Amino acid sequence: MSYKYIGSRGSGSMSWFLQRISGIVLVFVMVGHFILMHYNPEMGHSFNRVFERMQNPYYQMLQIAFVVLALYHGLQGVWNIYRDFKFPSWLNMAVLAILIVVGVGFGALGIANILHF
Amino acid sequence: MYQKSPTQEWTSNVVRYKKFSGSWAWLLHRITGLGLTAYILVHINTLASLQEGPEAFNAKMQVFMQPHWIFAAWILFGLVLYHTLNGIRIVIIDFGKGAKYHKQLLYGAVAIGLIVFLWMGYIMFFGHAEYDFLSMIVTSYN
Repeated sequence: MSYKYIGSRGSGSMSWFLQRISGIVLVFVMVGHFILMHYNPEMGHSFNRVFERMQNPYYQMLQIAFVVLALYHGLQGVWNIYRDFKFPSWLNMAVLAILIVVGVGFGALGIANILHF
Repeated sequence: MYQKSPTQEWTSNVVRYKKFSGSWAWLLHRITGLGLTAYILVHINTLASLQEGPEAFNAKMQVFMQPHWIFAAWILFGLVLYHTLNGIRIVIIDFGKGAKYHKQLLYGAVAIGLIVFLWMGYIMFFGHAEYDFLSMIVTSYN
């Protein structure tokens, strides 16, 4: 497989579908996130409140899913926008590599923040 | 015979194209999406101070309790709100029969969005007795 065709395999229907599914899930988690963090500013801005919530392993699992889904949805979205333009294939390769590295790197940092408790 | 320059041609095409509400919805969805993707990276990086202990985290969070940062958070909420409501609209168009009434869906999303945006602003600025941001702003200018 030549790098010349990177990103052009398949119809893109699976990434379209996953973008919809992750988006629908994020709507629900995001509503909860904003109510929890902003209905009472103490909840999101105090270490002790965060510490208390993080004692619940199911809450931690939810947060990890939140980080992974949000990063996937966002970076996949950037890639979708990028693919609407025509750029040289070496740049496609570089941009895809950067998006993957950013996703894995920040995903690891986010999960480390959660599992620290 | 008068001929439009390439720039005039391009401008008139873009202006004509963007007259339709669906194109605005599409463009705004992309812009807010790019902004939110940039924000989540900053957000994860900021929360890394959780690993440095309570003092470091609370000190950092006190910064974001300043009124102008609350205002920035409110604007950020606006981006999330638009992206969410238009995202629901996209799902209805893709999975349902929304293509037939996509403009009405957009008007509905904007109407609901404005109400929720103002309501959230009220909660963020006036909803907490212990954080009276309005008087903080007033005293900061005295």
